[in-house]
Amino acid sequence: MNSAKVDEQTLYQAATGWLKSAVDILLGAGVEVIAPIETDPGVVELAAVNSSEAVALDYVNARLPLKRLLFPVTEVLLEYEKQSDGDVDVKSEPAASPKDVVVIGARPCDVAALEALDKVFHWDYDDVHYSGRREGTTLITFACTKPGPQCFCTSVGGSPHNSAQSDVLVFLEDDGRALLQVCSDKGAKFVDQLGDVAKPAPAGSKLPAPPEVKARFEPEKVKQWLDESFEDDFWADVSLKCLGCGACSYLCPTCHCFDIVDEANWHSGQRRRNWDCCSHPMFTKHASGHNPRPDQASRCRQRVMHKFKYFPERFGQIACVGCGRCTRACCVGQNLVSILTDIETRAKGGANCDA
Amino acid sequence: MPDECSANETKTLIPLDYMASKMRIVSITDETVDTKTFRLEFCDPLKGEQFIFRAGQFGLYSVFGAGEATFCIASSPTEKGYIECSVKRTGKVTNELHQCNEGDIIGFRGPYGNWFPIDQMQGKNLLFVAGGIGLAPLNSLIRNCLDLRDQFNDISILYGARSVDDLVYKERLEAWQQMEDVQTLYTVDPGGETPQWKGEVGFVPTVLTNMKPEPDNTSVVLCGPPIMIKYVLVSLVELGFSPESAYTTLENRMKCGVGKCGRCNVGSLYVCKDGPVFRCSDLEALPKEF
Repeated sequence: MNSAKVDEQTLYQAATGWLKSAVDILLGAGVEVIAPIETDPGVVELAAVNSSEAVALDYVNARLPLKRLLFPVTEVLLEYEKQSDGDVDVKSEPAASPKDVVVIGARPCDVAALEALDKVFHWDYDDVHYSGRREGTTLITFACTKPGPQCFCTSVGGSPHNSAQSDVLVFLEDDGRALLQVCSDKGAKFVDQLGDVAKPAPAGSKLPAPPEVKARFEPEKVKQWLDESFEDDFWADVSLKCLGCGACSYLCPTCHCFDIVDEANWHSGQRRRNWDCCSHPMFTKHASGHNPRPDQASRCRQRVMHKFKYFPERFGQIACVGCGRCTRACCVGQNLVSILTDIETRAKGGANCDA
Repeated sequence: MPDECSANETKTLIPLDYMASKMRIVSITDETVDTKTFRLEFCDPLKGEQFIFRAGQFGLYSVFGAGEATFCIASSPTEKGYIECSVKRTGKVTNELHQCNEGDIIGFRGPYGNWFPIDQMQGKNLLFVAGGIGLAPLNSLIRNCLDLRDQFNDISILYGARSVDDLVYKERLEAWQQMEDVQTLYTVDPGGETPQWKGEVGFVPTVLTNMKPEPDNTSVVLCGPPIMIKYVLVSLVELGFSPESAYTTLENRMKCGVGKCGRCNVGSLYVCKDGPVFRCSDLEALPKEF
């Protein structure tokens, strides 16, 4: 899970056809291989593959974030069955078995986002369901070649070539070859499995220059304004068009809020963990009816504050990797970058723009 | 947050699978028309022996099939072999809990959160101020302090509810009143009294002002509805208390209890991890999201 400096020691040249070899070797070893595939025209998802043929190489990003493989939309925490004598048989869901999974082709922003999730799920209490999957997963990341118009990773400390949390960062070449930058022991093991297909890159091999992603705002400036602006009309303005649908949170690679609910049959059932979202009115509502975040303005504020103020204060990093999914998916055209650049303008004492 | 009793100090990670321990309801006490106190014992005697907690901590109680809900532990850590929780009927899980009978099995996980800084209260006067069901978390601390009575100076309890019918723990209130080394003052809101009522009539902050407690060397612990807390703090400051000497416990909605589900935060603090016990002076610096 370490990111390492680029040097010749860690750089390998993979021959044409390396992806097919990699998938075949891994499948042959009983490893589950997850890769980007086009599920609908123009829609790419990370999903299990049986061969390398379906793997999409030319895409901006998967529709759903990588996090769902480690922190699923829904999962069983325990199962219970009520006995006729009044007793209850309760079975803990065994922690995700350390089954080996190799994800080939996630984007650097999605992979870097796991740093935030790691902190949340390993904080004081170790969430064994998340940790089990995380440990068993090897991340072979594809460096970005064509960032989308909503991407802003460089504004939040990332880059199209960010190797954070990746085990191997892959630079695809036009002729079917690839440069493999090994970033961890798991990555070294992966390259080792490839055998002759990957050889140490010749001395002097250079990584391609990353495509340009324009920096749009400075998070420090944004935080400066947030520190002073819990009570500000800005939040009401920003929230006016928000429907509170939660698409931004569900698609966010760092959002981790969840609900725990029982799903009951007559005598038996399951306790499940499901994704939840701070945009929903019921999210914080007390049993008494009191709601600490009673309106959409306070909920929009929570979302921005959490990512750019609270999370940095608590965990020392921004809870945003600039993937742009929230903006891409918003059905009313809410744009996080506009909100943040507007905040930055305010931080500099400037006038309002159109958030 | 009183950092001396932060739950964050754990150095090693505690594995968490969200598994609930089974507990048997051994007795049920009707407190008011909509509040019951459940006494619970672990079905696994070993768990019962190993279970330790501190006054102020909470747990997630569950009725299998209905789900989990968060309540403080209302009994004292000095009482071994069982825990108690007081539950007001307000929603799905609490409704199901109220349907339960003695002998029924429910789920429990915890204890979570920080606790009242009882070690720092030694040698001090203690003033407890509670309203309504807010007496539940204080009940744990009061019973704890009374079991260690010689470690504290004067102990005063001011408790109020909307009406006589809304007073919880009536038997304990009676018992505390009988104790010679405890000063008690019980009140009901105007209009909530009955002809037999011998206590005060008036809102808690007003009664507190008239009570004129001595601020010197006194720790205050308060819990109740937000509006009561707000005005009790005003009264305390008028009486010469500093907000540093007062503690309260917050109750934001939570699902995991361990700082992961993301809903109980107040600013960058989590009620489940940095609380539920907070120093009142620390609350002033927080965004008003509780």
